[in-house]
Amino acid sequence: MAAIEVDGLCRTYRSRTGIFRRRRAEVQALRGISFQVERGELFGLLGPNGAGKTTTIKILTTLLLPSAGSARVLGHDPARDPGSVRRRIGHVFGGDRGLYDRLSALDNLKYFADLYRVPVRDKRQRIDELLELVGLKGRERERVETYSRGMRQRLHIARGLLHDPEILFLDEPTIGLDPVGAREVRETIGGLRQQGKTILLTTHYMYEADELCQRIAVINGGRFVAEGTPAELKARVLERTVIEIETFGVEDAIVERLRAIDGVASVSTETRDQAEVLLVQSRVGAELVQALLRELDGSRVGKVITREPTLEDAYVELVQTQ
Amino acid sequence: MTRAFLSGMWIHVVMFSRNPFDLSGVVLWPIIYASIAYYLLDSKDNPRLLLAASLGAAVMLMWSLVVIGSSNALENQRWLGTLELLVAAPVPFAAVIAPITVASGFVGAYALLATLAWGTLLFHVPLAIDHPLAFAVAVPACVLAIGMLGLVMASTFVLYRAAFSLGISLQYPVWIATGLLVPLSVLPPFVRKIGWFLGPYWGFRGIREATLGSAPWPYIGMSVAISIAYVAIGSICLHYFERVARSTGSLKLT
Repeated sequence: MAAIEVDGLCRTYRSRTGIFRRRRAEVQALRGISFQVERGELFGLLGPNGAGKTTTIKILTTLLLPSAGSARVLGHDPARDPGSVRRRIGHVFGGDRGLYDRLSALDNLKYFADLYRVPVRDKRQRIDELLELVGLKGRERERVETYSRGMRQRLHIARGLLHDPEILFLDEPTIGLDPVGAREVRETIGGLRQQGKTILLTTHYMYEADELCQRIAVINGGRFVAEGTPAELKARVLERTVIEIETFGVEDAIVERLRAIDGVASVSTETRDQAEVLLVQSRVGAELVQALLRELDGSRVGKVITREPTLEDAYVELVQTQ
Repeated sequence: MTRAFLSGMWIHVVMFSRNPFDLSGVVLWPIIYASIAYYLLDSKDNPRLLLAASLGAAVMLMWSLVVIGSSNALENQRWLGTLELLVAAPVPFAAVIAPITVASGFVGAYALLATLAWGTLLFHVPLAIDHPLAFAVAVPACVLAIGMLGLVMASTFVLYRAAFSLGISLQYPVWIATGLLVPLSVLPPFVRKIGWFLGPYWGFRGIREATLGSAPWPYIGMSVAISIAYVAIGSICLHYFERVARSTGSLKLT
């Protein structure tokens, strides 16, 4: 039996706006996704903002009911039997929220240990072990409001692990962290993977998914657009070449003309400092450079780099073409 | 479940004690309510009536602190992002929410005693209690009744984002329907019938009879009985509203 089984999961959010003329609005956050996560696996859900990653996690952690489809977590239905699921899972949400700021880290952990039914005789030892694991030993008596974002996030992970859950759900755990803080959190997650924990991780950072996940599903607009190992996803664009062209203020019409060039698979733009970088995926190697530069004639062009595709390129290709 | 309940109460009291605004309110409000009772009624020549007014003002404050305290606490949970974590905890949701209302009830009990104490100290309201034993039982019974009515109302606070505003608006109907603000005899008969279903009505009468009257125990008994009924109703409401919140996806909204 897989740790997580999801079959045709759908979720529609309904809201009403207006005071006198009430209008109904519907947003389809999930449009029938299906996947399985095996025990001991670190599975990644990768997608842009609003893709449906958090909605998926919320349904699996019993916080949201699906509109259609089914899910099983360790054999239990999170919609109908939330109690059985809650005892066996831990979840960690990214960001600043989810902790009692005016209390110390120790008080936060003690309270959640009681809520998650950690036996009294094990409570103190378990808290000490987790503080050690997340590198907060010695700082546990300080109020959480004095903590940095990275420290809060590591405290979140400790909280999620208090009752030694069989599955850990991590929803964008490194969001908003500085590079050092994010690396520390990734190291903690890597350690948990080595301990054999089943982990479902959502992120929109490619390198994070590449570094941590054994399998990845790319989600966009509530649908899965690809699923596989990081190597398999990279292989989808491996025969391609990425041409990076540094430009300054290129019009949309020119970008459209670049897309129309024979041999161009996709064109995306990225802002780096003052420049706008055009990322062109080519099906025919670097031969396209001259054709691209001809179309850009009259525009201010800086550096031109040709390189091998990365997982990020595969992701951009998947998200933009689906 | 007991551990989660006690731990929840402790956390709520500690959080409350670390908010200077809440703390100053708890110090100031009893003085204000004692003053209202003294000056509004203007019955300096009738000490028994003055004491009855002080008791009414004290229970009014107690209810306010419970309903505002618990609604504010739940709105804070939403803002802190901990409401989802509390819902997702494996203990029954009532065991997570009840400590908040009961802890607010104990703050309210302190406020009740403080209002009476300030009344005695500042305005010489005679604190002559006819049945001290019954009074000692009536106060916690009233705390329980008010706390558990807070639990029933807290179930709606889970569903709505503006819990604090809702809490404030719930103060006055209970003041009126339980006869705390004006005597029930001057109100339409149906208001009295509404009051029978409210814990503070019986809780207040228990305290008043213990202080001034002759037969406090039936009121105290009703106060406890209605509290037990509230626990059952509150648990059902919380279960229902939790499911509604999971269905609408409103737990995270701030």
